[in-house]
Amino acid sequence: MDGFGVAFEPLNIFLALAGVGIGTFVGMLPGIGPINAIAILIPVTFAAGIPPESALILLVGIYYGSQYGNSISTILLNVPGTASAVVTAIDGHAMTKAGRAGPALATAAVASFVGGTFSIFGLVLFAPVLAEWAIRFGPAEYFALMVFAFSALSSFASGSLVRALASTGFGLWLATVGLDPNSAIPRYTFGRIELLDGMDFVVVTIGLFAVSEVLQLLEDTSAGRSATALTGRVVISAKELASTGWTMVRGGIIGFIVGVLPGAGGTIASFLAYSTEERVAGADGRFGQGDIRGVAAPEAANNASVNGALIPLLTLGVPGSGTTAVLLGALLGLGITPGPLLLEEQPDLFWGLAASMYVGNAFLLLLNLPLVGFFVRALTVPRWILIPGVAALAFVAVYAVAGSSFDLVLMTLFGVVGYAMRKFSFPLAPVVLGLVLGPLMEKNLRRAMALSGGDWGVLFDSPIAITLWVLALASLAAPLLLARLAPRRDTAAPEPREEK
Amino acid sequence: MSQDRVIGGLLAAVGVTLALEATTFDVAFMTDPVGPKALPFLVAVMLVVGGAVAWIRPRGDVGLPSANVFLRMGSAVVAFLVYAAALPWLGFFLSTTLVVTALSLLYRGPLLPSSAAAALLSGGLWLLFVRLLSLPLPVGELWIR
Repeated sequence: MDGFGVAFEPLNIFLALAGVGIGTFVGMLPGIGPINAIAILIPVTFAAGIPPESALILLVGIYYGSQYGNSISTILLNVPGTASAVVTAIDGHAMTKAGRAGPALATAAVASFVGGTFSIFGLVLFAPVLAEWAIRFGPAEYFALMVFAFSALSSFASGSLVRALASTGFGLWLATVGLDPNSAIPRYTFGRIELLDGMDFVVVTIGLFAVSEVLQLLEDTSAGRSATALTGRVVISAKELASTGWTMVRGGIIGFIVGVLPGAGGTIASFLAYSTEERVAGADGRFGQGDIRGVAAPEAANNASVNGALIPLLTLGVPGSGTTAVLLGALLGLGITPGPLLLEEQPDLFWGLAASMYVGNAFLLLLNLPLVGFFVRALTVPRWILIPGVAALAFVAVYAVAGSSFDLVLMTLFGVVGYAMRKFSFPLAPVVLGLVLGPLMEKNLRRAMALSGGDWGVLFDSPIAITLWVLALASLAAPLLLARLAPRRDTAAPEPREEK
Repeated sequence: MSQDRVIGGLLAAVGVTLALEATTFDVAFMTDPVGPKALPFLVAVMLVVGGAVAWIRPRGDVGLPSANVFLRMGSAVVAFLVYAAALPWLGFFLSTTLVVTALSLLYRGPLLPSSAAAALLSGGLWLLFVRLLSLPLPVGELWIR
């Protein structure tokens, strides 16, 4: 397979290693997160002029690497970096309190590896099938698919569906800013020349996520919690590890399937894998008190979900989450339009990425087992160094987009808006999805309508389109129905951060 | 009035404003049957509906940060804006050192280590971006003259 030829090029090996290393750090540290790290590095990869497949290897490496890093702070500090690690905290931190942090970390690393590796098989197996099928998609089907992506993300977003819809609306509005590509009239540019080209998604993303986080962390003036000293080495007996084998496989499969669905992502994958294991274990489970399977299942699942989420991104060109939306923005910026033809037209990109993910996952396992102590030391960096440092990186990245101070002002503005949105629990991910997908959605709608000569019926003309509309409606109705049917179950998990 | 009523009213007002603005997007020659107004109108509907629901079914208020925290956040925002204005004049190194120091102080860092760390970081970023990646950062007009 040619993919490994691409993956083993020295530059790509280096970038895979750099990606997963950066990912581990940002997944672990508060205040950065994969979405910020990816957004910050996008202008850098553009400027450095590296080939698209190499840029993607780096950026995707950050994405899955962050899932590993996430488990470190979750297990040691009980501070999940993102919502997808919340369930890991239950048993993972219980193990730490029982003096078994080493085995917990080792299990998390191996489970992530197993889940990650398994789901790359899934990616390689199913992406070509989906691509084959999606070739039949016309503009009407794409429009319906994007509506489905929005409704799924809104309904799975934590909190109120209506707030998520308002967030989506905000993102779609940002997408309309600038010259309308069809008629070339300016929309919502406030008379600024800088806005004629539209809102740059890097500026918006960094403002909404990174700058707002910098502001929000000012609320919490404690110097940051110090890490529980890691006692003992990160080892685990082969017997204990083997006992979690099937748990990891099941978690990986669940995570992969959930990951493919738009909107769901790592959080739902890890919850589902955890509750499945709880049921499988039955009476001999010690879930909630430090059961090792309570670490293995969600960690395998949330890593697998990352690879699942790449399938709709690469084969349909339609992301289902904030992070994959940022990746789509990066791809478009690199001149790559993902879609059903990507596998044929850019085989190096797809197979090279897949092969590099095997390499990256192996790197992560090698990095995490012996070097976890080194990563943990990074948790002790005081906040007054870490956060201003992140802010400086954000400034450079935003400035690099267009070499303009105006973007820094916009970034600050979005930082204030993002802070207010977090405060009043409006989810941020739909904004990024709306901004990146908005132009594609509008283009497909207009194309479909132009082809039909203005007949709106064209949107509901094919079985595929009708199915997608039904799915979109069902995903909106699902949370309302579930809330009626099932009484809310309280979990002993700490307050999650927003899924990125 | 509860917070959600204020938010709801604001969202609806923004939605209406956007819709009014969208009515001016007139094209002399329609290239497609949908035109440039459709998506803005959809956005306006989403915001107005979101605002109306927040108004009709308000949630409980969330706790706002103390005046002291607000002051520090405001200072951070002002620092960012001053940075944007100062960057072309003072250049990357000096303005970044200053803004990072200010931010460190807002995070209750000690003065000397904060400014030392800020200067090191700014210098490092300059080397990385300008020398290694040849990505231009402003030198500062003040020093060129």
